[in-house]
Amino acid sequence: MGRRLPFANRVRELREQQGPMTQSELGRAIGVTRQTVAAIEQGKYSPSLESAFRIAEVFGVGIEDVFYWTGPGSAGS
Amino acid sequence: MPFHEKSAWIMAVTLLAGGIAYFWTVASMSAELGHLAPPMLRTVVVFTVIIVVLAIIGHVLVAARSPQDADAATDERERQIVDRAAHLSGYVLGAGVIGALGLYLFTGDGNLMFYVVFGSLLLSQLAEYAWQILLHRRGVY
Repeated sequence: MGRRLPFANRVRELREQQGPMTQSELGRAIGVTRQTVAAIEQGKYSPSLESAFRIAEVFGVGIEDVFYWTGPGSAGS
Repeated sequence: MPFHEKSAWIMAVTLLAGGIAYFWTVASMSAELGHLAPPMLRTVVVFTVIIVVLAIIGHVLVAARSPQDADAATDERERQIVDRAAHLSGYVLGAGVIGALGLYLFTGDGNLMFYVVFGSLLLSQLAEYAWQILLHRRGVY
């Protein structure tokens, strides 16, 4: 139940910088539901590579600016 | 709560209630007969129709409250949830069918085999909906 993904993201932060953009708006832009955007932000869902790239594209940044590794070998571990 | 989770709740509650009612009826008939009652087409048809009608009513009510969610296409996360739940459900059904076949080999009771297979089908569907609900809440890793 308490399992965590070995990476985190700045989706919420980037979304709030964009206007702010709602979870529904981001979901529509990348082709997923609002609940899926919420799950990504909470680290409860690992999005597909395609969705990850789409998110980065929406925010106009690189994928590494949205998702970053927090698992073994990361700077903070 | 996403529409697909609400849908899973509707189906789980409907199937559970219908399943209890069906096996309660079978148990009552068996008690009257003094042995396991043979499966009756009428009982199965009534059970199926009640389940379908209740499921339709439940989905219409939920969809009427949030039509946008109901109209939304299934996305990648929901597809993963459905696939994983169906995978688990397949194991439950498989185990039930194998158990029913084994039971038939030992008892030769076709009626009992029918009920075990039918119960396994219900149980596998309940497991599928329960797993869907859990994955919606816990997250998909």
